[in-house]
Amino acid sequence: MANKKKPPRTEACIIGAGASGAAVAKVLTENGVRVVGLEKGPWRGRETFGGDELANINRYNLWPDPLLDPRTTRATAADQPRVELFCPVPQMVGGGTVHWQGWLPRFTPNDFRLRTIAGPLKGTSLADWPISYDELEPYYAKVEWAFGVSGLAGANAFEGRRSRGYPCPPLPVSRYAEKFHKGCAALGWNAFPTPQAALSRAHNGRKSTVISAFAQQHGDPTGTRSSALNVFVPDAVKTGRYELRPEAYVRELALDANGRIKAAIYEDADGDLIEQEADLFFLACGAVESARLMLMSKSGRFPNGLANGSDLVGRNVTFHEYSAAVGVFDDPIYAWAGGGYVSASSFQFYEHDVSREFISGGHIACAGVGIPLPINWRLPDAPAWGAAAKQNDRDHFNHTMAVAMVLHDMPRHDNRVELDDNVKDAWGLPVARITTQAHENDMKQGRFLIDRGAEILEAAGAKRVQKVYADRVTGNCSHQHGTARMGDDPATSVLNRWCRAHEVDNLYAVDGSPFPTGTGANPTLTIMANAWRVAERVVEGRGSAN
Amino acid sequence: MSKDTFFDAHQRATVEAAMARMIPTDHEPGAREARTIDFVERYLSGIDFIYARPDGSGFETLSGKQAQAWRQRVGMLQKTYVEGIAALDAVAKQTFGAPFKALSERQQDEALRALERREKGGAGGDGPALQQTLTETELTFVPLLALHTRQGFYADPIYGGNGERAGWKVIGFPGPASLMEVFTGRYSALPWFAEGEEQKYREANGGE
Repeated sequence: MANKKKPPRTEACIIGAGASGAAVAKVLTENGVRVVGLEKGPWRGRETFGGDELANINRYNLWPDPLLDPRTTRATAADQPRVELFCPVPQMVGGGTVHWQGWLPRFTPNDFRLRTIAGPLKGTSLADWPISYDELEPYYAKVEWAFGVSGLAGANAFEGRRSRGYPCPPLPVSRYAEKFHKGCAALGWNAFPTPQAALSRAHNGRKSTVISAFAQQHGDPTGTRSSALNVFVPDAVKTGRYELRPEAYVRELALDANGRIKAAIYEDADGDLIEQEADLFFLACGAVESARLMLMSKSGRFPNGLANGSDLVGRNVTFHEYSAAVGVFDDPIYAWAGGGYVSASSFQFYEHDVSREFISGGHIACAGVGIPLPINWRLPDAPAWGAAAKQNDRDHFNHTMAVAMVLHDMPRHDNRVELDDNVKDAWGLPVARITTQAHENDMKQGRFLIDRGAEILEAAGAKRVQKVYADRVTGNCSHQHGTARMGDDPATSVLNRWCRAHEVDNLYAVDGSPFPTGTGANPTLTIMANAWRVAERVVEGRGSAN
Repeated sequence: MSKDTFFDAHQRATVEAAMARMIPTDHEPGAREARTIDFVERYLSGIDFIYARPDGSGFETLSGKQAQAWRQRVGMLQKTYVEGIAALDAVAKQTFGAPFKALSERQQDEALRALERREKGGAGGDGPALQQTLTETELTFVPLLALHTRQGFYADPIYGGNGERAGWKVIGFPGPASLMEVFTGRYSALPWFAEGEEQKYREANGGE
């Protein structure tokens, strides 16, 4: 520390360089704002990624190592927390987008007003969003074009108005997507090619995406997939105004005498503590880690954590849950082709329907079973070892697929992220403790969606179908939202409609944490669109008090 | 070349025999022919074979906190193996009067099932279905051995198992010829997409 010079003050400090942090960095820097990015993890180049199932899926090459970055979880405050890798996301430049396959559907207009449409619902803290689909729509289009999304405009019959189509047509049709389309057609249900974070043809000076088997949960050695690492980070760097420091682990946001944030205090790779001063601070660490950082930033003014006078930081967290119906077919499907997630989708059961015994609904889409590569592929009822296990692999590896759901789990006041009292990470900081108990609505909705998935598989000609119902929320889908709700009322929200903290006027959160509800769709397109919206507002209000 | 073994001769023979029951040889190769024993020896030998370099040219050198974590993890796994092998022999001797490696295949299956049942009384075991990540250090011996046999049978051959790509051949995974094929982007899964899609994609992209 003694020999290190304090870095100069900057205009904006963005903590985290994943989907949301990179989107904000791009928009700010392209509009002349000087930005320092502080990323906890390394900045890995494409030459560090490969087609290695063992390293990437099983040995934490990309996933956080639970010995370094553990979390704890429990169902209720009365339970003993246990250490678990709950809702992990890669901790590195690019974040989750480094290893995802990127399903990027838009939310629907009703997602922004579900409480009005379907609520209130007892035992939940269901809330409308302070913004509408129409306000976000221009930013959806901006992200789809700048990030590079392949899809078919108009194919999702339940989508809201769109100002522009997709920049690239859909990716090629996998055999599992073909089955999905066939099943939906037989049932009379709408289906569409899943919009994906990939380029089906050259776009914006980038080449078309290499279609590998090592995609979902693998890094991209070719640099051709659409990710924060491949697109928005380089866009921001190109401006010359984005100084991105990897291995800079922010442990506290420190206040000045006026209650504004003065500096981010981070530990660098040498273990030295550095202070980065800035005018504005953006939290972009993912909903769990952003809440954790706010809770770690205690002060005389905010004894319970930064901007947490309302005691809402960390609360109302939602995670989705990924589960599926699994079908076995006579003919080969090769579900590993494309990584298992070059998919087809349906929003047929996405919208709220008063005739059902639960509210809301979710996105259903086809995929391989889990990670459909040799080591990690597995039928739900398969024996773990022995002659029968081997025969099962031989008979079914190329013949199975899943119809999966994104569960719209309901926000609840007591479902929350806090700091664990006992467990610390490898840097000596308290880890996130997740308390979460699913609402009855979640389980009913999950069973319903998986039953529909099973019907699609049957209609597509599956000879055997198994249903894997979710019996709790396990965080297995890595989606996370809601820990710093946005809203117009400071008594019921942490952030305002521009994702600025009600209580700290130079603090923004731009990842999933502002989402009042998780919705039933994959969140990252909306996270990036919202981050872009916020960044543009900041640019417009530059120099004013906003 | 770094040291790439961990077991003594008896431990090695015991684990090799147990792995051969996990993925048995039938009309096609099993764990024994795919040399999953060499895979697990390498894994338990230290931290020199944790991550292959993505171009297949060797293995990464770990440092800092990552190296510490892996030393800790490998140490925990070594302990699970040493104790598990001893427990397996104890079950074998108690039930059949001989060490595990000397038993018939049927007796070996029984001994493994007996130990598995006993372990299930404790912690560990299977995670929820479709869980995307799994923590090896929480597994007891039999499920850990099953997992490592599977990994050794199906992982890229660079890790010491999947000899002659035996595992991939058994299940019909064509796989890339080498890590380098994926690394350079030459490898493509398009031939296994729906009929005609490969040609359409290549035409749309200028015959790449």
